[in-house]
Amino acid sequence: MVTKTEETQLNQLEIQVDNGGGGAWEYLCLVRNLKIRRSEKVLKHGSSILNDPKKRSALGPDEWTLNEQVAIAAMDCQCLDVAQNCVKALQKKFPGSKRVGSLEALLLESKGLWGEAEEAYSSLLEDNPLDQAIHKRRVAISKALGKPSVAIELLNKYLELFMADHDAWRELAELYLSLQMYKQAAFCYEELILSQPTVPLYHLAYADVLYTIGGVENIISARKYYAATIDLTGGKNTRALLGICLCASAIAQLSKGRNKEDKDATAAPELHSLAAAAVEKEYKQKAPDKLQLISSALRSLKI
Amino acid sequence: MNFGFLVGVFGVLILSHAAYSTIQYRGLLKIMEEEFSRPPINVILELIIGLALCMWAALTFPGKFLSIHPDSDENRAVSLPDNSDFMIFNHRGRLFPPEIDMKF
Repeated sequence: MVTKTEETQLNQLEIQVDNGGGGAWEYLCLVRNLKIRRSEKVLKHGSSILNDPKKRSALGPDEWTLNEQVAIAAMDCQCLDVAQNCVKALQKKFPGSKRVGSLEALLLESKGLWGEAEEAYSSLLEDNPLDQAIHKRRVAISKALGKPSVAIELLNKYLELFMADHDAWRELAELYLSLQMYKQAAFCYEELILSQPTVPLYHLAYADVLYTIGGVENIISARKYYAATIDLTGGKNTRALLGICLCASAIAQLSKGRNKEDKDATAAPELHSLAAAAVEKEYKQKAPDKLQLISSALRSLKI
Repeated sequence: MNFGFLVGVFGVLILSHAAYSTIQYRGLLKIMEEEFSRPPINVILELIIGLALCMWAALTFPGKFLSIHPDSDENRAVSLPDNSDFMIFNHRGRLFPPEIDMKF
């Protein structure tokens, strides 16, 4: 979970390093710790450090971590010769290492040689059948080949063994969403909320899925989860605020045929008006030229 | 070194002086064979002053306190880390490799 301070720090460092100021190594460490995918910049600055023998020796033992990071970034940007060189350097330094072995298989994946990569992963799995990263790479191979159902099957088997891996649950939820299997995706998000209840983005995603499934009960639950997201982010998440406004209009429309007591129980008019006011305030602050659009949209939602 | 640190050192010195006076007072009472119930009034005053100085220094010397609310403006979650365990490489960026020359 990336916090606001970390994000501003990252952006500042990025601007600083891009404009030629120092701090490339801090930027690379920050990207590695936050696990963000900034492959082009990592490749550019990482290879500039590795090309310079003075800076490279100044790193000491961290040089090999940098090699690994640059190798993966190079594979992501399709600079395969850079990746090959990094992997070769790592192979020379750590022969017979499993971590370097999985990097080599990753290189095969990025070259598009899915069959060889699959074989490499199976042989690595024979040596240690409980390696989490290798299982996950097999799922990624099926995903890259465009077979989401195979990926889902593999991922389900993986999750039977390692139920606490929340990255895997997230990936499974996204795979289900790509196949429009919303109920299963909702189940995955429920697991995520159970294991990490303080991450507001899971509540937000769950609310989105519930709103998509539709039906009055689901939309009432979605409204609750949008409200939880607003609580956990201190009111700064515009998507959750808009979600509440949309839920309000959906509930009003769907409960037109019901009798008065039911409607009153589910109404919550103060929440709706507060959310609408908060949205307008955000727009006034951040995008004042679009304030007109959002006000008219909110007014049409009230009907 | 800044003022807070000096105040803290001063506070610790006052406290140690109060401790030393109490020990001396106890020794005196042992000679006079009386009970030791509590240290004399001036030592208690010294203790209170030392406490106030040390607390003030402890709060000002370390600098800015970090926020602990998870929903404060600095600590709120902005995005989740990109799931790099499941990263795939056949995306459209594959067709635009950046120009990197390397000498290692």
